[in-house]
Amino acid sequence: MKKSDKKPYNQKTGNTIVSYLWSAPSLILICLIVIFPILYTGYISLTNMNVYHWFTYDFIGIENYKEALLVFDSGFLSALVLTVLWTVVNMILQLIIAYLLAGLLNTNGLKLRNFYRTLLIFPWAMPGYVSILLWKTGMFNSQFGLLNQWMEKAGVSPVKWLANDVSAFICCTVVNLWLALPFMITIIDGALQSVDRSYYESALLDGANWMQRTWYITIPAIRPVIAPSVVITIFTTFKQFDVIYLLTQQAGAKTGAHIHTILTYAYENAFITNNYGYSSAVSMIIFLILIVFSYVINIKPKEES
Amino acid sequence: MKHRKRKRIIKLVFVNLVLILVCVLTFVPILYAFSVSVNEQNSLLSSDFSFIPKKMTFENYRKVFTEEPVIMWFQNSLFLAVSTVVISLGTGIPAAYIFSRRKFPGRNMILQLLILLYAFPSLLSMTALYKLLSPMGLINTKMGLIIVYTGTMAVFALWNMKGYFDTIPVEIEEAAMIDGASPIRIVQKIVLPLAKPTVAVTAMMVLIYVWNEYIFAINFMTGEHTYTLAAGLYSLQANETSGSWPVFSAASLMVSVPILIIFFALQKNMASGLTSGGVKG
Repeated sequence: MKKSDKKPYNQKTGNTIVSYLWSAPSLILICLIVIFPILYTGYISLTNMNVYHWFTYDFIGIENYKEALLVFDSGFLSALVLTVLWTVVNMILQLIIAYLLAGLLNTNGLKLRNFYRTLLIFPWAMPGYVSILLWKTGMFNSQFGLLNQWMEKAGVSPVKWLANDVSAFICCTVVNLWLALPFMITIIDGALQSVDRSYYESALLDGANWMQRTWYITIPAIRPVIAPSVVITIFTTFKQFDVIYLLTQQAGAKTGAHIHTILTYAYENAFITNNYGYSSAVSMIIFLILIVFSYVINIKPKEES
Repeated sequence: MKHRKRKRIIKLVFVNLVLILVCVLTFVPILYAFSVSVNEQNSLLSSDFSFIPKKMTFENYRKVFTEEPVIMWFQNSLFLAVSTVVISLGTGIPAAYIFSRRKFPGRNMILQLLILLYAFPSLLSMTALYKLLSPMGLINTKMGLIIVYTGTMAVFALWNMKGYFDTIPVEIEEAAMIDGASPIRIVQKIVLPLAKPTVAVTAMMVLIYVWNEYIFAINFMTGEHTYTLAAGLYSLQANETSGSWPVFSAASLMVSVPILIIFFALQKNMASGLTSGGVKG
């Protein structure tokens, strides 16, 4: 006789208990370090906790949220706009440059392909903060940065690259591209390798030029392959903190530029001006934005059906 | 035909030139830091600085060891990294295995919740974490940082390894189960050997995260002797001016070497070991 699919009730409960026992250590950690702090952040966001009211804070309702969302001068909304701009600019540049470079790597008959590839992904392997600090001091520093040494040689007076908003934004973008391109190149390169060569041959016979081949064959073919990684990169770009913080606004070493993404804004309010309640409200708003964002894009990692 | 061949060669030369240029540009910051770190004359401020130092010296590297407590920072980083990796894998592997293999009430809900949590940058709950850890006396202790790091990476570890376990066929395990092997034995003898790539990549991601993490390290730890390498390096660049730039670049490059080695050693596993789309290093 075949064993029935339905297990007796006891065994099922036992199964559940065993499952939870096995996953308990991991789930407890997540509850303690991830979930509880988020809930607690939500609670702090409803209080006026700051450096003067570290223990004796009062419950003030949604005042902090009002300040962040309705008072334009508070800086949150402009940080949000800048973050969106930052994400859009970075993603467009990243995709175009990575596509072009990956295309070059896939040129027929290129012998040193792997050599170039290894060199190009090198920045990915470097610790991120080290790279950023090396860029900050090595390239952008107004005295001994390489850029200004070159400027000097060319007879132009040195520039304080990180001191005004526009040039600081460009510098941050350059560094972010330097850090993020290796990943994107790897992804697009892998996708290009999977495109069926025969499409190109028939397109060439039909006289399609490079633009047409790119637009009608390559992009539609690689889009589904690169989509998940692009979505992840959009998230990491949106949540970028290190580049902007380390380049322009470390504690005690502000360079004079006032570019804030929402994350550096939240951090500054928490740990520089010590306005914990307000910063927590900002954090909760960011979290909500990220949740909505991920629902809109609908990234559900594949599950077995 | 000859014409086409010539055209192809010209194209290849052009492609090579562009790629060489891009590679050189990519390496400018690193090469510059390296040449500064080994340059004997401190000719930084003069305009005749050249990439190839006229006189080589390892003085700056020696200074890193003698003038800064780098060895201690290294030990701190290593201790934190290894502890975090061990705890992450120890808690993550059984959970990932169960979520991959068993169906139980609450499973789907937890998985959905974890995706949401993955979107939350841990930086944002730093105040709450501080408030949570400080009454337990865990601020300014290694234990506190290990808990924060493990918790932060737990969601990633669980999802990433579960994704890989899903791709391992269950038939072998079922056969072993019929033979009477216990679940723990099955994981040890069958699942883990098959799941090596994902375990290696998960461990690497956790290790790199801890090695590179500076923001919790500088806010939760005070005092030079408790610094990690990342926090120490951060303090080196933040509180000193031009004079220490050669020492700083020497220290930066040294800190990067272990990560570079691990990265390139495990690079082949990257594609297969990162399943849920993963994160960037």
